[in-house]
Amino acid sequence: MTMPAALQRDDANDQAAKAGRRKLISRWFYLLCIAIAMLSVLVLAVLLISISVQGGSRLSVDLLTNAHSELHPEQAGMWPAIVGTLFVCGVCALVALPLGVGTAVFLEEFKPRRPELRVLRRWIPLGQRRWDGVCTGLYKAMRGLHGFVQLNISNLAGVPSIVYGLLGLSVFVYMFNVFGQITVNESAGLELAGVRHYYQVLTLQRGEVVLIPQQDLQQATITVTEPVEAMLPSGERVTLSLWKPGTEKPTEPELRRRTVREGATGGRYSQKDWYYFRLPLGRSFLAAGLTLALVILPVVIIASQEALRGVPPSMREASLGLGATTWQTTRNVCLPAALPGILTGSILSMGRAIGEAAPILVVLGAAIAKNSGPQHLMDDAVTMPVLIYNWAGRQQQVYQELAAAAIIVLLVILLLVNSLAIYLRQRLRQT
Amino acid sequence: MNLQVRPMEPKSKNRPPVVERPLASKDASESARPARPARIEIKDFDAWYGDFQAIHGLSLDVPRHQVTAFIGPSGCGKSTLLKWLNRMNDVVAGAHAQGHLVLKGDVGEDDVDLLARSTDVVALRRRIGIVFQKPNPFPKSIYQNVAFGPRLHMNISRRETDELVEWALKKAALWDEVKDRLHKSALGLSGGQQQRLCIARAIATGPNILLMDEPCSALDPASTARVEDLIFELRQQYSIVIVTHSMQQASRVSDQTAFFFQGRLIESGPTEQIFTRPREQQTEDYVSGKFG
Repeated sequence: MTMPAALQRDDANDQAAKAGRRKLISRWFYLLCIAIAMLSVLVLAVLLISISVQGGSRLSVDLLTNAHSELHPEQAGMWPAIVGTLFVCGVCALVALPLGVGTAVFLEEFKPRRPELRVLRRWIPLGQRRWDGVCTGLYKAMRGLHGFVQLNISNLAGVPSIVYGLLGLSVFVYMFNVFGQITVNESAGLELAGVRHYYQVLTLQRGEVVLIPQQDLQQATITVTEPVEAMLPSGERVTLSLWKPGTEKPTEPELRRRTVREGATGGRYSQKDWYYFRLPLGRSFLAAGLTLALVILPVVIIASQEALRGVPPSMREASLGLGATTWQTTRNVCLPAALPGILTGSILSMGRAIGEAAPILVVLGAAIAKNSGPQHLMDDAVTMPVLIYNWAGRQQQVYQELAAAAIIVLLVILLLVNSLAIYLRQRLRQT
Repeated sequence: MNLQVRPMEPKSKNRPPVVERPLASKDASESARPARPARIEIKDFDAWYGDFQAIHGLSLDVPRHQVTAFIGPSGCGKSTLLKWLNRMNDVVAGAHAQGHLVLKGDVGEDDVDLLARSTDVVALRRRIGIVFQKPNPFPKSIYQNVAFGPRLHMNISRRETDELVEWALKKAALWDEVKDRLHKSALGLSGGQQQRLCIARAIATGPNILLMDEPCSALDPASTARVEDLIFELRQQYSIVIVTHSMQQASRVSDQTAFFFQGRLIESGPTEQIFTRPREQQTEDYVSGKFG
């Protein structure tokens, strides 16, 4: 047998030249890769430096503990935003993680199997072949459903977050108005728990406000027709006297102060316990958290799926071979083995949730006037990205600096979260 | 043929190298004895993966308290059959089978149709343990590995578990090596130890049949010898089916041998007969190393 022509050629010089060229290209490509890698680091460094220069002077304890202030921007802080972010992301984690891990377990561990229709078989006399056909059809349908869910999750991961914001607005904030329209600052909708309609609020002639304890909780407004017991905001109890329009007003200042026009109407003021709950959710941190959960759900699912896929099939076989059910296998073998991956993916997606601004802007609005964290379940909240968005859009130099300082705080928090992910992964890998 | 009494005690450490051990080294009276009553009956068994038929009309009995070896070239269907015996194929997409595949119960026990969809697979796998090709201990402690099976099936106290774990590890000839580090990770054991741990894990659920899918193919000769000794001893209480690529191994450990080729059973019978006086030409070619 003769050697192929390519191997018989005598061109050592040509080959040597080619080898030299190849090595050169390889070296240049290596340098190019380093340059590209350094470029991204450089961009990050430039960002960090410019932000630090701009906001470094504003970093102080005040920034962390104070609330936003329109009048004294030099004292403004981001405490309500930090608390608000914590609440919103807490809700997000509580909803997205169990749902996401559960979906991943469904997709990875509970693959469809040929169904058993023994019960039906006894009652419906179809032939064996017919039944086999039915079972196969069902199996194919379930496989189709599985594939459909999988396809949708992959697609959802690429949907812009502002779209989720709009979804959250109609689904969580308004709930398609099935519980009635809600308006700002007024309790409405289906109030389920934690509300005490204490008072009717009545504005006196001179602009002062009194509260009238209410007996009938369903009554929406009150009309004053006779002298009535009321309470000043200070807690002092007073008796309101009546003034009929057309008659002379009382002249004594003290009496005049506690006079109310006959026929004046008051609005409802409800005192809310922390567990105050109503439907629809309105512009509450709960709605914002649920919306964020939708945003990160596909990411959590995909990360958990990857982690579960990484569990060697031999582990499942070993468990099933010992007579474990699918759930026992999942619970005792697959989930523990996949835990590092699931945790890493979950924490990284939480990092994304912390930094997400667009859906929050849609669901909660851009207002940052709140000076505390949420007081009850239906309360709204300010989050850090929204605060930064608001501050950065203002003209004054001081707000620009505040925005930069807030960005530093946000970045530090995100870095902490990411290092927690790395630490947990290393820790769990070792054991 | 060099027939000699096989010592039942564990051998000393400086045993002869594996390949030099005599073929079919069994008690003369035992090898002459006919196969014992069947533990598993297989008749006209067909199995498919999707459209590919892996097993064609196979009939075979797996006897009680003996070691049955499945031999044959790769892709001949021996592992497929093994996995059907405890329904591990249920999780394989597209795997299906038909025919008569029955687990014969002991006195007072019902027979179990191994193919029926109504069969309780969980209970079945408790009675039919399986050991895989590659040692696959869980990334847990040695103790937890052995206690895994029993804890799945029953509520047992701490003391009962301790006792069970010790019993299983002793049975698998591993106790002396691991008794001081029961709560260390099983992944720290050597390959051979891991495989014996997997056998202990399978025994701990109290099966009466053990299926072994090439249990020694990932092990070195010394570990192989230890596992083979173990298999030989375990047949006192268990009916064992072993799939192997090593003809020497089949001849060393098994009482009955079944030779598979291209999804069909070519020949089955007492191991000694298969290896010395095969009826079929194909069997002779295979066991003498002419192909395969």
